[in-house]
Amino acid sequence: MLKYVIKRILWIVPTVLGVLILLFSLTYFLPGDPASVMLGPRATPELIEDLNHRLHLDQPVYTRLGYYILGVLRGDLGESVWSGHKVSSLIVNSLPYTIILAVCSMGLAALVGIFLGVFATIYKESIIDHLVTGISLVGVAVPDFVAACLLLLFFAVHLNLFPVLGAGEAGNIADKIHHLILPVISLAIGWIGYLSRLTRETMLEVLDSDYIRVEKAFGIPAKHIHYKYALKNAVIPIITVIGLGIGKLLGGAVLVEIIFNRPGLGKLVVDAVYARDLPVVQGGILIATLLFVLANLIADISYAYIDPRIQYE
Amino acid sequence: MIQENIANSSPKKSNYRKKNSQIKKIAGILRIILHDYRGQIGSAFIIAMVVCAIFSPWVAPFDPYEQDILNRFASPSLTHLLGTDYLGRDILSRIIYGSRVAAMVSFGSVCFSAIIGVIIGVIGGYKEGRKLDYAIILVFDIVRSFPQLILALALVAVIGPSVRNLILALAFTAFPFYGRLARAETLSVKEEDYVKAAKALGATNIQIIFKHIIPNTLSPVIVTGGMDLATMIMYEASLSFLGLGVRPPTASWGIMLRNGLTYIHASPYMIIWPALTIAIAMIGFSLFAESLRIALNPKERKLHE
Repeated sequence: MLKYVIKRILWIVPTVLGVLILLFSLTYFLPGDPASVMLGPRATPELIEDLNHRLHLDQPVYTRLGYYILGVLRGDLGESVWSGHKVSSLIVNSLPYTIILAVCSMGLAALVGIFLGVFATIYKESIIDHLVTGISLVGVAVPDFVAACLLLLFFAVHLNLFPVLGAGEAGNIADKIHHLILPVISLAIGWIGYLSRLTRETMLEVLDSDYIRVEKAFGIPAKHIHYKYALKNAVIPIITVIGLGIGKLLGGAVLVEIIFNRPGLGKLVVDAVYARDLPVVQGGILIATLLFVLANLIADISYAYIDPRIQYE
Repeated sequence: MIQENIANSSPKKSNYRKKNSQIKKIAGILRIILHDYRGQIGSAFIIAMVVCAIFSPWVAPFDPYEQDILNRFASPSLTHLLGTDYLGRDILSRIIYGSRVAAMVSFGSVCFSAIIGVIIGVIGGYKEGRKLDYAIILVFDIVRSFPQLILALALVAVIGPSVRNLILALAFTAFPFYGRLARAETLSVKEEDYVKAAKALGATNIQIIFKHIIPNTLSPVIVTGGMDLATMIMYEASLSFLGLGVRPPTASWGIMLRNGLTYIHASPYMIIWPALTIAIAMIGFSLFAESLRIALNPKERKLHE
């Protein structure tokens, strides 16, 4: 087990290195002179030269790559061109909003999705089952930002039940929750669809296995079988999916954040792209990617812990 | 003379037989798909979208760029079946023309990423354990580490927004998935007897790869591709929504959704119709992909019969 974990963690090192190189080359290939792009049209030649020197832009490629990687390792992601703040502090300020959104959405999706999935399994082939299958199809197919727009239209604008923008007043938990509801629902819809289907399929597969048949033959009541034995084993891939899903949400709740104007990581990156604020774009994407990689790593290791056979593949 | 005729006719016959059986296989799969309610609905949607995309000038009632400022934010009426947007353009026509972009981007990026991914993945799997294989796995993992939308976002920001660049960027974010799939399939296929026999008979690596390995990796790749068609429509809409996809005034469902959001207080129809269209398109493609998956998997076929 330990060997697997160490191997897995060691593999991250070249992967992250590659990520850094890829990110660096993205900004390297940006057309135009980065310094004058960043400084704008009114920059004087001395200003441009100064910025060039500060950003090491006059050095050869590999030196710049080296500076970049060293900076990242030290935690220095540069400064925002637009506001002058340190990129790392901008990101740290935006992370809580994104994390809360991701965790709440996934939590809601897990609760509702797993419950619906188990429900559909128990009443298999009944109208409930077909209803859940239909809901899950719609949930999976409708993208989160489409659901967000529709929810915004109906509940926030027409019915005026929920706030349209923002994340709520600081310090006022009730207000924050009020602002969270619509974004969380729009993100959760897709995952509810996916999780309910996954739960149903895994449960059906597990219920078909031999030890369940033995328990039925022994006369153990059905509900007992469902919840105690079947669900425990079915939970394995579900937990993995939840872990991967949180990682994905951390990296990708971009559109929902923009639609509801929540100041999270996704909005930070997109606003920086609009403003051509390269350091923020680089730093933001880096952090989103690292979080994604971390979530994948944890999901992989927990899956190997629960089902040791994985380690030998 | 007779012997020459016989010698000349056998190769032709075997080619014919091979093509005939392949056509029969494909026809069989299509039949399974069309007998399933999911396949029926899904295929109907796909055909509708492709028809709209190809024949937009004939299907759409208005010119999607034609502005009618006096008539903006109009509700649905007999002339403008879905209403007009903030510049008075007919929403229905813009949606029909939007299917062009959606179809081009989704089909294009899926084809691209599948082809590139499969080729690289098969090469990696074939040379399993060597440095090339590790390098290929590393490249796959590096690209897979990025959240797809964010990577596509950054790429388009660098190379500029246009349909062609969208296709390339999305294909780049997706190729590792096909690569991993193809590589895993290759690992098992290359141990099969017919591959070993071909090798013993002196076939070159390239011949083996193209004649034996790649055809056998196609099944899961096609299933993934089907599902990806839906996902790519969503990514195209997302990027266009962010203004990093197709440029206005080109009609794209994502751009229409964005405009609808900006003018949310003026007219609900600017949001509703693009939102419904994206949702319905994705449902249709997902249904089709689902029935494709069932058709291509013998196990699933038994389950669902």
